[in-house]
Amino acid sequence: MVAARFARGSSGPGMGEAEQHASASSSVSAARLESVLDTAVDAILVINEKAQILVYNRACEKLFGYSPQETLGRNIRMIMPADYAGAHDGYMTNYMTTGHRKIIGIGREVRARHRDGTEFPVELSVGETETPEGRQFIGIIRDLRPRKEQERRVNELQADLVHMARVSAMDEMGAALAHELNQPLTAIMLYLQAASRSLARSPNGVPAAPDVFRQVLEKAVHEAERAGGIISRMRQFVEKRDPQRRAVDLNAVVEEAVELTLLGLRTNARMDRSFAAALPPAVVDPIQIQQIVVNLLRNAFEALRDRQDGIVRVSTSRQGDSFVVAVEDNGPGLPPGIVPTLFKAFSSSKRSGMGLGLSISRAIAQNHAGDLTVDPGGNGRGARFELRLPMIAVPEADEGDDVDTMPAATPPSSASGVDA
Amino acid sequence: MAVHIVEDDPGVSDSLLMFLQGMGLVAYTYPDAESFFEADPPQPDDTIIVDLLLPGISGAGVIRWLQELKEPPRVIAISAQSQSAIEKQIRGISGVEILRKPLSSELISQIV
Ligand SMILES: Nc1ncnc2c1ncn2[C@@H]1O[C@H](COP(=O)(O)OP(=O)(O)O)[C@@H](O)[C@H]1O
Ligand SMILES: [Mg+2]
Repeated sequence: MVAARFARGSSGPGMGEAEQHASASSSVSAARLESVLDTAVDAILVINEKAQILVYNRACEKLFGYSPQETLGRNIRMIMPADYAGAHDGYMTNYMTTGHRKIIGIGREVRARHRDGTEFPVELSVGETETPEGRQFIGIIRDLRPRKEQERRVNELQADLVHMARVSAMDEMGAALAHELNQPLTAIMLYLQAASRSLARSPNGVPAAPDVFRQVLEKAVHEAERAGGIISRMRQFVEKRDPQRRAVDLNAVVEEAVELTLLGLRTNARMDRSFAAALPPAVVDPIQIQQIVVNLLRNAFEALRDRQDGIVRVSTSRQGDSFVVAVEDNGPGLPPGIVPTLFKAFSSSKRSGMGLGLSISRAIAQNHAGDLTVDPGGNGRGARFELRLPMIAVPEADEGDDVDTMPAATPPSSASGVDA
Repeated sequence: MAVHIVEDDPGVSDSLLMFLQGMGLVAYTYPDAESFFEADPPQPDDTIIVDLLLPGISGAGVIRWLQELKEPPRVIAISAQSQSAIEKQIRGISGVEILRKPLSSELISQIV
């Protein structure tokens, strides 16, 4: 390419008298190319082997805040964050000597730096060309901030929706949960009354045995703890917090979901658990996985309403590189018409059903790189749902750190040096 | 006279027992309707406290059974459900006192 000839500014590096003379003859095509460069929406840069900037189009001015006068002839480092500006010359030397490509012809997401010090994500593609003045590298840079912002908004909306579904499930369970809280409260009141009565009686002769008295108080404490446990279980489930993935015991997550479901449901169906022993830790958002299992269990119990011999079976197992959580009931199976749209939103056969449970459950599963599938049953067989989650090696460092729940929109950040 | 407590929640059942025993009453507990039916039938001057929501045979079933006895004992139904849910369950049954949970002890001592 002829990029070096379009260096604006007094004296382009490497431009001898002869070349300046020669360039006059191609000034028309030079002007045309310059106008093309300046019309481009993407920032376009050309550097030489010494990393000096030779071309810096108008979009660059907007993106980086420097004028062409400030940049032409200077090292490309000036538009890189400090942490890899220092390494860039090394990358270039490395490429020049070994020919090993890390970015050329590949393109990747990196960080750039504005004149005011702001760092921001960009997508960088680099091309290479031989010129009489040596090798030159052409970089095309696209600002990723608008896309990131949009991704962030989408993630936020999805997280809100998933949270809203939890709140709505809790709302449906509300009456039963209030019932469940009334039990320990009743017990506490009666224990404390019994204790205070025994004290009141003691002056007229029969003193309450201190160990009996203490026993009653301990029972009251136990009931208070039970009430507290119900509250914190509910709160954990509905609290709005950022999606968080960490290494957890899948059996414990499923058990928690079973407890919560049973709290919020009056049923005479039996609950049958069979948990695989010695499962490796699962890297998931535990509350979201709990949300899926609660949805499946509630659906199963609802399918067994008005049945005397209902059984809901929940199991965990390991199949190859996946965890499988299965929820199965001995109800009527899925209504035939509903199967094609089952996992779509607002697909419900219930009078008060929102039909969101399964669609959100599948979205959560897929965002965990897993899936939710169904064997619809029917003809005397109940439905069987299977949640499949990939077995992922437990991240060593930053365990418990935020990992976006909606990776569909957020590829793992590859922001690293602009290595040649 | 004795008080029979038919209640599946162990905390509620045990605290009621302690409370009534503390008032000098003789009381027994049963975790479900089935075990209550297996025991000796209650005396006419006994009181039965029955939770409406029981696993298996319901509280309403216990009440109906008691009311068919030659000399029905006194029955107090307890429930932590909403008023409308309670009414639905004891529809067609009369002469039952109902206490909603959480139970206030004054109320119980008044009745017992
Ligand atoms: N275990 C099951 N047995 C029978 N039908 C089921 C079962 N689980 C789900 N369904 C059907 O799938 C529909 C959609 O379920 P879901 O997405 O959870 O929404 P909702 O529970 O609000 O109706 C239900 O209305 C029901 O018809
Ligand atoms: Mg549902």
